[in-house]
Amino acid sequence: MDQPDILVRTRAYVHETFLYMRPGFALGDGDRLLQRGVIDSMGVMELIGFLRSEFGVVVADEDITEQNLGTLADIARYVAAKHRNGGPHPTGD
Amino acid sequence: MCGLAGLARAPGGGGVSAEILDRMAGALRHRGPDGCGRYAGPRVGLAHVRLSIIDVAGGAQPLGNEDGSVLVVYNGEVYNYLELRTELSAAGHRFRTRSDTEVLVHAYEQWGTGMLGRLNGQFAFAIYDRRTETVLLARDRFGVRPLFYAIADGDLFFASEAKALFASGGVEAAPDFVGLDQVFTFWAARPPWTVFRGVHSIEPGCFAVWREGALRHGRYYALEYPEARDEPPDAGPALGHLLGSSVALRLRSDVPVGGYLSGGLDSSISCALAARESPFPVRTFSVTFDDPQLDEREFQLLVAAQLHSHHFVRAIGPGDVAGVFPDVVWHAESPLVRTAPAPMYLLAQLAREHDIKVVLTGEGSDELFLGYDLFKETALRLFCLRQPQSRSRPRLFDRLYPYLDSRGRHGDFWRRSFLDAGAPDDLLFSHLPRFLLTSRIKDFYSADLRATLAQTDPLEDLRASLPASFSTWSPLNRAAYLEMVTLLSPYLLSAQGDRMSLAHGVEGRYPFLDHRLFEFAARLPTGSKLRGLREKAILRRWAQDVVPPAVHRRPKQPYRAPDIPAFFSPEPVEYVRDLLDERSLTRSGLFEPQAVAGLVRRCRAGAATGFRENQALVAIVSAELWHRQFIDSAASVRTAPDLVPDVALEDGLPAVS
Repeated sequence: MDQPDILVRTRAYVHETFLYMRPGFALGDGDRLLQRGVIDSMGVMELIGFLRSEFGVVVADEDITEQNLGTLADIARYVAAKHRNGGPHPTGD
Repeated sequence: MCGLAGLARAPGGGGVSAEILDRMAGALRHRGPDGCGRYAGPRVGLAHVRLSIIDVAGGAQPLGNEDGSVLVVYNGEVYNYLELRTELSAAGHRFRTRSDTEVLVHAYEQWGTGMLGRLNGQFAFAIYDRRTETVLLARDRFGVRPLFYAIADGDLFFASEAKALFASGGVEAAPDFVGLDQVFTFWAARPPWTVFRGVHSIEPGCFAVWREGALRHGRYYALEYPEARDEPPDAGPALGHLLGSSVALRLRSDVPVGGYLSGGLDSSISCALAARESPFPVRTFSVTFDDPQLDEREFQLLVAAQLHSHHFVRAIGPGDVAGVFPDVVWHAESPLVRTAPAPMYLLAQLAREHDIKVVLTGEGSDELFLGYDLFKETALRLFCLRQPQSRSRPRLFDRLYPYLDSRGRHGDFWRRSFLDAGAPDDLLFSHLPRFLLTSRIKDFYSADLRATLAQTDPLEDLRASLPASFSTWSPLNRAAYLEMVTLLSPYLLSAQGDRMSLAHGVEGRYPFLDHRLFEFAARLPTGSKLRGLREKAILRRWAQDVVPPAVHRRPKQPYRAPDIPAFFSPEPVEYVRDLLDERSLTRSGLFEPQAVAGLVRRCRAGAATGFRENQALVAIVSAELWHRQFIDSAASVRTAPDLVPDVALEDGLPAVS
């Protein structure tokens, strides 16, 4: 799965999950999700669940950083890199 | 405890009919089921419903002075009434009853509004002085007892609850959008604002005088924090003495006094001190929850066993919160952002079922002694912002809010949310994380409501209202003040306090809200209260021999109740489905139906687990209930029992029968 595809699916998920009440909200791929009020720390946990079920990526506790998950672009880059470095983890679901 | 109502005509206006007064009193009947009375005069009318607690036989109201020229209707308790009575008797006043009510009229004659600073208690009252044709409205220091007013067509209407104003027929129930926006920022409208247009609340520690058709406002008590550098060497014994005295005063009653027992430190202390003072086993009352994250029964039972109390429990199970929530909103008279008042409503019902009309309860301690995690959060944010490059300091945030879901309580995002929430030089620094989080409810506002509120900034209004000395206080004392004025008084003591207990004719008494205790705590160094990350240090130290060790050791667990799970399992309860229907939402016009539909979808799927969506769902459901109950329909029709007054006074008749 390539990075642009991950970005599209993640963007759609974020809009559907965290921005459904703000349909006119313009979220750029480089916008910071926390600072723009899109997501809070409980939302991050929900996002991590999505990355696992959608892309088979298990996010380790030490990876829950703004560098990896701070923006839509960061998330796509992080997930794509996880795929390159050994592929998706089994989800166990 | 009681309810009061009345109206004063504009100069040249007509008399006040008994029928209007009875309608207003009828709307308050739940506050005072034991009796009622009225005075219908040519310019002013007073109404009262009574819950008999002191001088059960002789305390009927309205009640007057020796010649009936000064009349009072009063809701509350003046705990030092015996001392004041002695002082007033020495000054020549003659008393005909044993009640604290009569002390008020003589104190007014003796000292005028100077009386207010002499009262130790929780009260709201109206005094009509027939000699000067003035009406004095006053409220206690911390806002335990409510008092609302409205001026309509030049007439002054006043009452313990807004529903009595509407029942008069002279005041219209319409939304105040600025007040609503405050609810969705602070959890409650901030006095003098309310959620009703033209209806105002007398601020805690304030009074107002109606004379010749104009209302003049004054303040007799202001919160001050003259923090000392060092803890006085006798601070521990002094705290014990004040607490003992405060509880002893609050046990003054001609009916049995019970205690609410949450299982935390504060209610355990007040129940323990009550048990010491009482010759009989005290009766304690608790709620329990199925959800172990909310339940505190283990600690409640420990305290009850130590006190040998008669302990009564109301178990909150599936359906209970949703079942009473419409009544809760009716009594709270406001949208809510938490369901927490609902179990308090059921707890008061339990006390009443066991013939208890008076309960001691622990509110106020967390504000006085820095008990909430919000205070630790403030201290930690300052600590981290002093060294912004530190990577270790922000890890301390992971120790906050241990009772919340651990999945969201660590890592970059959790820590960053605190650090980005505002700069230390912002006057609202301590509360910005809460205010900003609560304000996410506004994401669901309709386009019309957004447009109406385009020029409204509740945070700026709050900043502008702060007292001049605020900026001289330490950050933690600023936080304590903001907690008192934005949450304790307008929410905890009203929506979760007065309104829920008086729904069942039960009076809450608050030993920690004795003003002497507040002033003692305000003078302490903050380090005596929050020591490192240990809350209520001095109180905990003093209480080690008073409460069971397990209760003494346990960290603060705030009282909470289920929010979304109370209404979805996973389908919504029927009235919620109806309220959140597109047509219903469009009719009230507060929230965007498409946005609410998204929230409902997530609630049904069990996906809405965070703060934001829980508070939004409660806010929307309660606001729609509020709109239907007060705005859509004539509020006066809901409560209109027939009243037969025990006291019916008219002008020229003696004031006391």
